[in-house]
Amino acid sequence: MSEAVVQDKKRFVVPIGPQHPALKEPGHFEFTVDGEIVTGATVRLGYAHRGIEKAVESRNWTQSLYLLERICGICSHVHAMTYCLGVEKLAGAEVPPRAQAIRVLVAELERVHSHLLWLGVAAHEAGFDTLFMYSWRDRETVMDLLESFTGNRVNYSANILGGVKCDVTPDLASAILKGVDFLEERSRHYLNVVTTDEVFLQRTRGVGTMSKEVAERLGVVGPTARASGVARDIRIEAPYAAYADFPVQIVLAEAGDLEARFVVRIKELFESYRLIHEVIDKLPPGELQTRMPRKIKAGETISRVEAPRGEAFYFIKSNGSDNPERIKVRTPTLCNMGSVVATAVGHQLADMPMILAGIDPCFSCNDRTVAVRDAAGALVTWESLRQRRLAHQENK
Amino acid sequence: MDVLKTLFILLIFPGGLFVLANGMVYEWADRKLVARLQNRVGPRWFQPLADLLKLLAKEEVVPESVNARLFVWLPIVALAGVLTGALYLPIAGLQPSYSFSGDLIVAVYLFSMLTLCTGIAGANTNNRFSLVGATRTLTQLFSYEAPFLLAMLGPAVAAGSWKISDIMAYSSTHPVILLQPVGFVIALIGLMGKLEMRPFDAPEAETEIVAGALTEYSGRGLALFYLGRYAELIAGLTLMSAFYLGGIHNQLDYIVKTLVLLLALAGVQTLMTRLRIDQIVGLWWRYGTLLVLLQWLVTLLLKGMVL
Amino acid sequence: MLVDTLRSFFQKPVTRLYPFERNASPERLRGKLHWNPDNCTGCCLCAKDCPSDAIEVITIDKKAKKFVMRYHADRCTYCAQCVQNCRFSCISMASGEWELASTSTEPFTVYYGNEADLEPLLGKAPPPAVDMP
Ligand code: SF4
Ligand code: SF4
Repeated sequence: MSEAVVQDKKRFVVPIGPQHPALKEPGHFEFTVDGEIVTGATVRLGYAHRGIEKAVESRNWTQSLYLLERICGICSHVHAMTYCLGVEKLAGAEVPPRAQAIRVLVAELERVHSHLLWLGVAAHEAGFDTLFMYSWRDRETVMDLLESFTGNRVNYSANILGGVKCDVTPDLASAILKGVDFLEERSRHYLNVVTTDEVFLQRTRGVGTMSKEVAERLGVVGPTARASGVARDIRIEAPYAAYADFPVQIVLAEAGDLEARFVVRIKELFESYRLIHEVIDKLPPGELQTRMPRKIKAGETISRVEAPRGEAFYFIKSNGSDNPERIKVRTPTLCNMGSVVATAVGHQLADMPMILAGIDPCFSCNDRTVAVRDAAGALVTWESLRQRRLAHQENK
Repeated sequence: MDVLKTLFILLIFPGGLFVLANGMVYEWADRKLVARLQNRVGPRWFQPLADLLKLLAKEEVVPESVNARLFVWLPIVALAGVLTGALYLPIAGLQPSYSFSGDLIVAVYLFSMLTLCTGIAGANTNNRFSLVGATRTLTQLFSYEAPFLLAMLGPAVAAGSWKISDIMAYSSTHPVILLQPVGFVIALIGLMGKLEMRPFDAPEAETEIVAGALTEYSGRGLALFYLGRYAELIAGLTLMSAFYLGGIHNQLDYIVKTLVLLLALAGVQTLMTRLRIDQIVGLWWRYGTLLVLLQWLVTLLLKGMVL
Repeated sequence: MLVDTLRSFFQKPVTRLYPFERNASPERLRGKLHWNPDNCTGCCLCAKDCPSDAIEVITIDKKAKKFVMRYHADRCTYCAQCVQNCRFSCISMASGEWELASTSTEPFTVYYGNEADLEPLLGKAPPPAVDMP
């Protein structure tokens, strides 16, 4: 590494990751800099590939739910819900409306926790630790609510194939409403801070701007897209669970810079608070679960859910047995990663962590497949890898 | 006997160890204040000491690609510079151990040694984070140094002497903070720049360049740099209160005045976002220097009128 | 922001000094599993859907409906699927026991059942661990 610096004087590359204080998860970025200005950026992912998709094939439908829920620690409910919705569609099961509404409720609480978490992380990347401490302190409110609602702070496992496990009691409903009202007031304050704090604005306004055209070309999703004026939200385009009964208002911004992403995410919080109120007010009565068969009818389907970071996508294929035949997951971070590379060039090195945090990356959930290529650039197949291992063992 | 006494002054009291211990206490106070402002609990009182002991107990790794002698000596020089500078100051309300006319200039330059050594230390290694950090450290040094020095010289000009004790005598009889408010603010902010406190911590912005210039340092070397910074915190606070807050006459005076300053520093640290290096340079040269020059003009005019 | 910082300066810090200060765990918290053998039919549905093979239902006497359970707290993911699966409400996770950390592996293998049924099992040397699939 040191020689590379000496020899390659023209191209001074600053590596960020796989281990770096700015990244809480492994990813590797190489920024070519000229002084402090970034002139090129590349990204390499795949450090946290866990082989979950393959592992699911050897588990039954119920066991898979809990493995898939652990794809992401922040939006675990989203993954479980996407999977359940897909499998229920395959099985042709009718999920009771109360269960669907509770799914929406947990999903929105999760969005609140995820956005508040992001607010803190992004502020920390900018070097505004006070905002980081405060927003995480307030986030504790929603974590506690989720804990008393579902029984755990992360990996809520509120879902079960065919419904949900936990019900809303009147006590819980009033606790949630109280917590949400407190958070609404705090979020108003944070919105005020990120739009008026002069010093903070110097780090966000006009930084990492992505125009609507670029956003559309790169196919970015979620709040990152909405901050660039791209109206894209699965909750509105293809309402799932109970979103048809509880319509969502889209939050858009035009500027496409970091400030817009702050504004969009915080305004989405207000939308979530409103939805939580609405769901609790109009919670349909009825059952929580419907019975699901152990074997799911053969067939294939896709299932899409708006995660806090954008669209989560599942492809589910069944061959009629106890186990899924194939499950393919695509998480929003993968779609948004291109925008980091596209917007990085021309900015200061100091802005890189901010731009990176701007898409709210979640590395371990986006690391799905690794393509291994040999020295000649040809794709290495699973079988040849196996052969290699056997040969290697024999040589020993 | 005389040699022993001098050594005692230099190494133990009021120089050397005493300054360091004092520095650690203030470092703790700073961390605690920031923590409380952020609604956290903050560290226990022995935390800086514990950090130090831990670092001293650790292995010091000298990277392959560096000039090893420079690598080892830089932290020592840095610490020695700060400690020497501190000898000319009325630390803890005691008489400065040494004093001569013009000691202000010497002291201020000795305090810059730390930053300079940090910069060179970063440039000495081949680590890319260190190199970027070193560039930033030195850039920042050049941007705040001139205004800071000018701001420190403001009271000196008013007092008509470049000897620290003379200036202190002057500031005891004149409300310097009211006469030169701009100088005070600039000196305070300059001190934050010197200590690389937020919002001027771009040279060691952890989310960008890990630990900046000191990334490759570990163990003893890092501990010495930290000690240097603690001592500089004390020195800066003492200098500020001596010049702008009406001098330091006894221990209580010292504690109250420096703590008030520390509270102000902690407040700015909590309220600010880290500035980018280009923004820092712009800030200093566009506003800092001009304002402090303006202040000088006013001071000189006032002086001319009084005389 | 200024008001905020000033307010928190005079507030008590929100940090809780665990383990000296503890919060009561919420009612629904999924803690260590407990098993009541009285109603168990030995259907093994709980073990079948457990995502991490944390439950073993051991048959002592099928006719007399005598079963014991070996529960591996270290494998359990606390998902409560087993609670949902059991039709006879034998399993409960509402114990509020969540501080399960230990420096040895022993406390993680737990036997539940009537004492008379357990005796032969516990008297013997601990059975070899079952391999994970
Ligand atoms: S809680 Fe989940 S992991 Fe634990 S024993 Fe029950 S089914 Fe298995
Ligand atoms: S599901 Fe219930 S009844 Fe069946 S074996 Fe498990 S504990 Fe016994």
